Amino acid sequence: MTSSAGQAEAVVRGAGAIRARPRAVLTSRLGEYAGFGPVLLLFGGFFFAPLVLIIAYSFWQVIDYNVVQNWTLDNYRYFLSVPTYVRTFIATLWMTALATVLTIGIAFPFAYWLTRYVSRSWQRPLLLLVIIPFWTSYLLRVASWITILGEGGVVNRTLEALGLIHQPLSFLLYNRWAVIFVLVYLYFPFAALTLFSALERFDWNQLKAAMDLGAPPLTAIWRIMLPQIRPGVITAVIFVFIPILGEYLTPQLVGGVDGVMIGNLVVNFFVGAQYTRGAAIALLITAIAVAMLILFRRSLVLEQVYGR
Amino acid sequence: MIEPAGEPQSAGGAPETSSPRHTIELRGVSKRYRGTEALAPLDLEIRDGEFFCLLGPSGCGKTTTLNLIGGFVEATSGEIVIQGENVTNVPPHQRNVNTVFQSYALFPHLTVRDNVAFGLKMSRVPARESEVRTRDALELVRLTDYADYYPAQLSGGQQQRVAVARALVNRPAVLLLDEPLGALDLKLRKQLQVELARIHRDVGTTFVFVTHDQEEAMAMADRIAVMNSGRIEQVGTPEEIYARPSSRFVADFVGESNFFEVERRGDGTVVTAGGSPVPCSMGASSDWSRATLMVRPEAIRFAAHKGEHLCLEGEVLQSSFLGSFTRVAIACADTQAPVLATLPYGKRHRQELRVESTVSFTWDPEDAVVLDLQQA
Repeated sequence: MTSSAGQAEAVVRGAGAIRARPRAVLTSRLGEYAGFGPVLLLFGGFFFAPLVLIIAYSFWQVIDYNVVQNWTLDNYRYFLSVPTYVRTFIATLWMTALATVLTIGIAFPFAYWLTRYVSRSWQRPLLLLVIIPFWTSYLLRVASWITILGEGGVVNRTLEALGLIHQPLSFLLYNRWAVIFVLVYLYFPFAALTLFSALERFDWNQLKAAMDLGAPPLTAIWRIMLPQIRPGVITAVIFVFIPILGEYLTPQLVGGVDGVMIGNLVVNFFVGAQYTRGAAIALLITAIAVAMLILFRRSLVLEQVYGR
Repeated sequence: MIEPAGEPQSAGGAPETSSPRHTIELRGVSKRYRGTEALAPLDLEIRDGEFFCLLGPSGCGKTTTLNLIGGFVEATSGEIVIQGENVTNVPPHQRNVNTVFQSYALFPHLTVRDNVAFGLKMSRVPARESEVRTRDALELVRLTDYADYYPAQLSGGQQQRVAVARALVNRPAVLLLDEPLGALDLKLRKQLQVELARIHRDVGTTFVFVTHDQEEAMAMADRIAVMNSGRIEQVGTPEEIYARPSSRFVADFVGESNFFEVERRGDGTVVTAGGSPVPCSMGASSDWSRATLMVRPEAIRFAAHKGEHLCLEGEVLQSSFLGSFTRVAIACADTQAPVLATLPYGKRHRQELRVESTVSFTWDPEDAVVLDLQQA
């Protein structure tokens, strides 16, 4: 451990020495960086500037439909003072968490099965099937669930035709569970693809070895496989959790009154010209996403810990 | 040091009885994969504490046999008995068997110490005992100073030794080794062969070693099973297999060999297809008429003078001086492939072995192994 750390240090120092350049060259540096111009413009203009604006908005006020630059914490205070908003916020957190757990919980066995039991020539076609929904617009994919789960939808019609029900089932749509269900459907491909690429690089002999050493199959997966594919699992969690946290279209279409998520509140505030309050909520969502990234930061670079 | 597994009575250096205890017994074990036979029903007994080698070309069923013993593959028929217990339907994690994998399959996210201790943790060995046993195992493979390293920081040979320690620390009844030296370069391989043989002597556990390298098998094994297309061709000590191969395949696979198709005449003389009489100890027995004679290259000797009795003639194709011996290839009308002869360094030869010179050679009757006997 120590010797390799020493080596790493030496390598870093060596790289530093290479990077140091004579002063004469420095003048041409500006020219070298010109290539970054378009990227800087894009990120600066369309990412950084709006972000700064939103942060500023969240501390300003709207008076008579105009944003006034009065610095205040009122927007945050207001949000926390309305119980419905706080409840929606908390509901959003657990819905997102549950949807993420379910998505990973379905995608992991799928990816496991695909990498371990499906022959190489069939893996790609099956992955293509997972990706095919992306050829359809996101809006349509959500809306199509209304035609499947709605009162006159495929499920209810079929059950009625089979004589199993006489009244359409109404609990299939327009509640939190419908939202979670559709979210799991929407984000499954992200998780499945990420986990597949993580498992593809996994050496299956490791599981064999663990079982050979007395580990029951599930223990082998938990103690030997998961630690090794952790970066992939965490990437999948991030890919699923963060976008769901900001979802507003799915709850809008299949959530009804009951299934509202925090994203809908943001939209409502902006539509109602309450920009500063909307900005404050948007920042709360961002804060949670950032907190999660910080939490997982260490795990994402785990590979460096054991020097692969 | 690690205690040998099994009953203490066998560990006390008791003299080997006429019927040694068997650690592993395979009775009529076979394996089919989707209709293709990977392993024909096979019977095999592996003795307590022996270094047993499964030798054969790829696809011969040796790894399948190992996987059957380890429990990674389910037998299509037959039963597997380990230490008197029928384990045919016991899953791998409940078998008293450990494996050293070809790729080592060390856990990259665990240190060497944690890799070795993994099996003990799984069988809930108390922490204190686990610590001592882990340390002993690392001592056995001489890696004590590397306990806190991660596998990626070790050389191939060191990783291989970690794999051995990780398996042996559990005191298995049998240690299975699946071509464990295959990924290493020749010099290291020779070194580790010696090392593995020493470890085997130290722990006294039964080793079952799979390899396609006949030299490796000869160097380490007490007994070898030579396998070919899902069957065991011969089981025996390295000497038995080399000196008395039971089939043409074994003779060809283990060491170098010359084959002569021969016929037995009514008067008991044995002649090649070309009609030249050759030495053969089986000429007197009358129950065969056709066979293949196998003669090892070192058994070929050059005749004192041309036209000596029971000699074959040929033209030297190539003569290569290889240090400790000289290797001569002779084109001979009586065989299809050139006849190979090896002559130890320093021995005088009465004939000149220049390329294109004609030589006559022969062998002692007892050096010719008679294979594939056929009736008229």
